[in-house]
Amino acid sequence: MAAEGSKMKNPVSLFVSRSTITSRANKTGSWRFARPRYQDKTAPCSAACPAGVDIPGIERAVSEGNVDRAWRTYMAENPFPAVCGRVCFHTCESACNRSRLDQPVSINRLDRFVGDAAIDRERLEIPDILPSNGRRVAIVGSGPAGLSAAYFLARLGFACEIFESKSEPGGVLQWGIPAYRLPKTILQQEIARIVDMGVKIHCRQPVDADFLSRLQASCDAVFLGGGLGRPVSLGIPGSPYMADGLALLEAIQNGASPDVSGEVAVIGGGNTAIDVARSLIRLGALPVILYRRRRQDMPAFGHEIEAAEAEGVRIAELVAPMALEPSGDGVCVHLGGMKTVEAGADGRPRVVPDGVRKTKLIFSKVYSGIGADIAEPWYRPGGDDGAARIALSHCTLDVASTPLIYGGDPVMPVKSVTDAIASGKQAAIALHAWFEGGREAIARAMDRGQVGPGPALSMESYLGGERRRRDRHVVTPEEINTDYFQKKERGSAHRLAVANARLTFDEIEFTLPPDRAAEEAGRCYQCGLCNDCDNCRIFCAEVSIEMVDGRRRIDLDYCKGCGVCVAECPRSAMIIEEERA
Amino acid sequence: MRQVLEGSHAISEAVRLARVQVTAGYPITPQTHIIEAISEYCADGTMAGRFIPVESEHSSMAAVVGAASTGVRTFTATSSHGLALMHEMLHWASAARLPIVLGEVNRALGPGWNIWMDQTDSLAQRDTGWIQLYCEDGQEALDTTLMAYRLAEQVNLPVMVVIDAFFVSHTFEPMDVPEQADVDRFLPPIQPRFAIDPQEPAALYQMAPPACYMEMRRSIDLAMDQAAEVFEDVEEEFEQVFGRRYGSIETVGCEDAEIILVTTGSATSTSRLVVENLREQGEKVGLLKLKRFRPFPTEAIREALAGARKAAILDRNFCFGVGGIFSQEIRAALCGLEDAPVIFNFIAGLGGRDIPPDLIEEIYATTKTNAAPAEKSIWVGLNEELLESCSN
Repeated sequence: MAAEGSKMKNPVSLFVSRSTITSRANKTGSWRFARPRYQDKTAPCSAACPAGVDIPGIERAVSEGNVDRAWRTYMAENPFPAVCGRVCFHTCESACNRSRLDQPVSINRLDRFVGDAAIDRERLEIPDILPSNGRRVAIVGSGPAGLSAAYFLARLGFACEIFESKSEPGGVLQWGIPAYRLPKTILQQEIARIVDMGVKIHCRQPVDADFLSRLQASCDAVFLGGGLGRPVSLGIPGSPYMADGLALLEAIQNGASPDVSGEVAVIGGGNTAIDVARSLIRLGALPVILYRRRRQDMPAFGHEIEAAEAEGVRIAELVAPMALEPSGDGVCVHLGGMKTVEAGADGRPRVVPDGVRKTKLIFSKVYSGIGADIAEPWYRPGGDDGAARIALSHCTLDVASTPLIYGGDPVMPVKSVTDAIASGKQAAIALHAWFEGGREAIARAMDRGQVGPGPALSMESYLGGERRRRDRHVVTPEEINTDYFQKKERGSAHRLAVANARLTFDEIEFTLPPDRAAEEAGRCYQCGLCNDCDNCRIFCAEVSIEMVDGRRRIDLDYCKGCGVCVAECPRSAMIIEEERA
Repeated sequence: MRQVLEGSHAISEAVRLARVQVTAGYPITPQTHIIEAISEYCADGTMAGRFIPVESEHSSMAAVVGAASTGVRTFTATSSHGLALMHEMLHWASAARLPIVLGEVNRALGPGWNIWMDQTDSLAQRDTGWIQLYCEDGQEALDTTLMAYRLAEQVNLPVMVVIDAFFVSHTFEPMDVPEQADVDRFLPPIQPRFAIDPQEPAALYQMAPPACYMEMRRSIDLAMDQAAEVFEDVEEEFEQVFGRRYGSIETVGCEDAEIILVTTGSATSTSRLVVENLREQGEKVGLLKLKRFRPFPTEAIREALAGARKAAILDRNFCFGVGGIFSQEIRAALCGLEDAPVIFNFIAGLGGRDIPPDLIEEIYATTKTNAAPAEKSIWVGLNEELLESCSN
């Protein structure tokens, strides 16, 4: 204790207690009955991503300006940042806890930013590649599932060869998704990276049943990722007068510019119908989408439907084509009106013919956009082969002889590009585990790699990386201390004006510039993940949190268990538990 | 520059001009406009200081205690229940010897819920070791806030600048807002005599056992005595720069007065008019305005009241079981004075009730016509009928 002397001419009385003697003899830790600890948890976005991408890890790296780290973090779980940054239907954003405060983080645009930044750079090192294990895997189909399987298998030490029936690899990414949504140079560069890892792609090499048998004989395993290549027929009178929408998209991709004009019909309500209609706009036609349910029931993405309408696509809802017949140079479509009745098992209202409205419309051409089915029956696991079957969420293994893995759209509950990537990853991990220890090893591998409640899988966790330490609890919005976050407008990118966009197949949206990307990534809460904000250490009343080798450590000799650190953690990266006796 | 400003904003402007570094605040009517303006200044860059929004007044005082301990200039403001909630921290601020300035807008305490003028809130804090300065109007509030920093930082004691709810806080008046350069000349940056310094780790304010606690309290008392002298010096310098001074008390016509009316706050302005009229009519009446309540200007009051036969003290506050608080203090100050005036204690204007000129005339007439007060405190302006009706 010391009296403070005064330097003033007329010293004013001033006597306060001040001490430089340490109070460390008083071990306040003995007061404690609850103990805080650091516990990283699972962010809802990463659990909602079919590919289990470590989204907060990416956003943190982007916000810190470290794009290389962001890219490596992305590539640990998904080889297609620039592709998915354009075409993914981003369930991550729907799960984002930030939407409770203002709007979700623009995760999809940030993925694209990270992917494009890597394309612009010199070769970057792909994370975690295990040495060769001497095993060979044949992959049928070079769509997102096959390419993903090749990428992850290659990282796990397998030699991979892909067999593709068409002239270019990419499957739906190359032939189905129009260039205004995914420029093909972007796709090619991300595929080139997989080829650079040593994966061989044999194009114009269709696989029939005989070829498959030969592959099974000569390889250690075969992955079947043939996808859905055969157009579905409506099965109504006059079907032959209907053109295949997918074939139109493929023709455009091959450089054709089909001469279509006037009013054309597109039948369907999914993304294919929208892609076909928007491509027709760009060819100079006036497309009308004929859909049997209501607009709000369309399975196509909402933003795609809006964009299509903005470009001039018209949508006729609650009409079903009954028959087609030629009419002059065009096609006459007989339409029956539909009406909604109570919701079916899938929650969508069912529709039935209203029996009243019947119309005939004449179009210059009619395209189907109702999706596709498997081209060969053996693309899907058939029959009852229970004992040799291992059914997982995104793929099915048949281990009767040489392991055969069914992946991609034919076996997935949700059909999307990112689910296909998840399928390839799951197949790779399952196969790696199978060779390590059979059926039980697959179960252990699925558990080891599980993100949150699953079924998302993390390659990094499977390989024993840092992510394994995260608790599977998914952080809820209530667990975020929103006192630390201010409302901030969600970042958006520049787009071509609709009037210009509808004239060309040029990409509509631009990539976020680096400053906007860093700003947007800064909106991420980092749910459940310590980002070194240091609130715990700053708020600790006992100064009992110390930095040891760059990590925070709670000194339990002094921690009173007051819980301020836990309460002031903005992102729920700490917990407090009752002290065990 | 002449500007028309609300009384609350007179204080906000002074805080801006004083280049306050940390302001904490929690809203409460009728104080809210003060911190509202400051928070906007901090947000839009008008002020370089930081604004800390807190969850209670206890926390706002705790926040400025913490900030002031690091040697920066601080401010907070409150009223009524907010000040009551700060009570514990008010003791802390003074005993920690921190030069905090608090804008206090006098408001009644509930229940019955009442947001209007009443001095009991600040007077209930008289023993917390704070300097208390009561202001009559917006100009005085602005000037007093600037002087408060000089005073606080020189004697290491906190200062409460007090204004009336609504009568001052929400009234727009023309006032002279000083130029920044002049304020900088009068009020240079704070030079703390002690501060927390991470380069020299030390603990402040820990255990003070019986062997030294009394000395610490005596030290505060000595500083409070010194504050009275420093107050004069600060006023002197303020007048040199800005041409205005107020004094710990102000007297009007007290030299020849037989009856002296003692007032505080905005009731003083009304009383000035009444006293002037009465004097024109030949009445020997004077006016004493009390500005500095702590440290209490005992000598100045004895001197001013010495020649009068009677003093009528207007209390807009009440201490149940005793009477008006200013009256108690003035009675104590006059103790032992030969031929001391007879004290009449009037209670008026509680909970925002108006004190119009005719009520002050009534107070004067009662004092003049009675040799001694009929009661220990005389409640004026009461609605007797209402009171009776509620007694059953």
